[in-house]
Amino acid sequence: MIFIPIVALFIGSAIAFIIIGPQKGIVGQYLAVACLAGLDTILGGIRSGLEGKFTNEVFLTGFISNVIIAFSLAWLGDKILVDLFLAVALVLGARIFTNLSLIRRIVLTKWQDARERRRLQQRAAAGQTQAESTG
Amino acid sequence: MNPFNTVTRQNWVLPVSILSMVLGFMMTAAWVTKESRSRLNYASGTQQDRVGSGTIDFQEKYDQLSDEVSKLRAEKTKLERALGDQGSSSKALNEALQEMKMQAALSDVEGPGVTVTLKDSAKGGGFEVDQAIHDFDLLRVVNELWNAGAEAIAVNGHRMAIGVSIRCVGSVIMVDNIRIAPPVVIRAIGDPQTLNGALNLPGGVLSEIRSSDPTMATIELVRKMRLQAYNGSTAHKYALVAKDAK
Repeated sequence: MIFIPIVALFIGSAIAFIIIGPQKGIVGQYLAVACLAGLDTILGGIRSGLEGKFTNEVFLTGFISNVIIAFSLAWLGDKILVDLFLAVALVLGARIFTNLSLIRRIVLTKWQDARERRRLQQRAAAGQTQAESTG
Repeated sequence: MNPFNTVTRQNWVLPVSILSMVLGFMMTAAWVTKESRSRLNYASGTQQDRVGSGTIDFQEKYDQLSDEVSKLRAEKTKLERALGDQGSSSKALNEALQEMKMQAALSDVEGPGVTVTLKDSAKGGGFEVDQAIHDFDLLRVVNELWNAGAEAIAVNGHRMAIGVSIRCVGSVIMVDNIRIAPPVVIRAIGDPQTLNGALNLPGGVLSEIRSSDPTMATIELVRKMRLQAYNGSTAHKYALVAKDAK
């Protein structure tokens, strides 16, 4: 299930590559910050999805507002000569790390659970056949 | 197990995937390419429109006038020579005069040197500002050549004499108020090896141009070449030789 968004990511970039190609100059720089915000929201969405807490509205508004806020912060920083870009990058970078680690833990736990369950089932089945043969 | 349950439990996949696609789109748009790191900082204003400007139609008239100027200058040299023939003292004077004229780029000179050709990139695509030759490129090359010990420099045949400016008006480069168009040929007389070395310094003037497109700048070592005299105006209104220096 996690792979579908990743595949979609590549599809999206392929489309962009065909249609517009890399943007030049300062707009590209703001867009880079917006990308960080988008990435953070996507990972947050995957995490909440895996946790079973996903709500469409929160996710959609989160994506749009994060992207816009990051974009305009970077722009504002450029205008007032304070590198707000760095602040955005730092905060979003930290959040991306947190989200990624949580996703990793959830997936890992699920996988371990499944393995444990299978093992228990096999053992139960073995126990049953043994009981049948001795009984 | 209720099949609808699994569907509702994974209702996050579709929206996340869609926005993930949007993100991919944005990332590609923001991708930093070599072209987006630009020499734009050096270019200003209307300069950026210079790419692909048409041919220069003042060329013919200019050629005519400069022919006339060189003809008059040659006549003047002849007269000076005639003056020199009259006696040894005036001959010495004439020698000094010719030396001064060479210093002032008012006489043709010849010698070994280099020919630097700068031209707009034909590659197309990418960052247009980087693919054109600008006035600052000329300025920096000429500056580097002087620094490397060039004794005479001509840009597209215009000698770099005292008071010759290189600048950009609208979308054309002007050398001493004469419009020129790429390809720009800068010829300099001096030690060819030294001049070549100075231009090819790592991180030097040409490396930046070449980073856009290596074909934009070429250097040729020349064993012997001839540079025409400066044929612009030498009139002066304000400067007079100081009284006690005469």
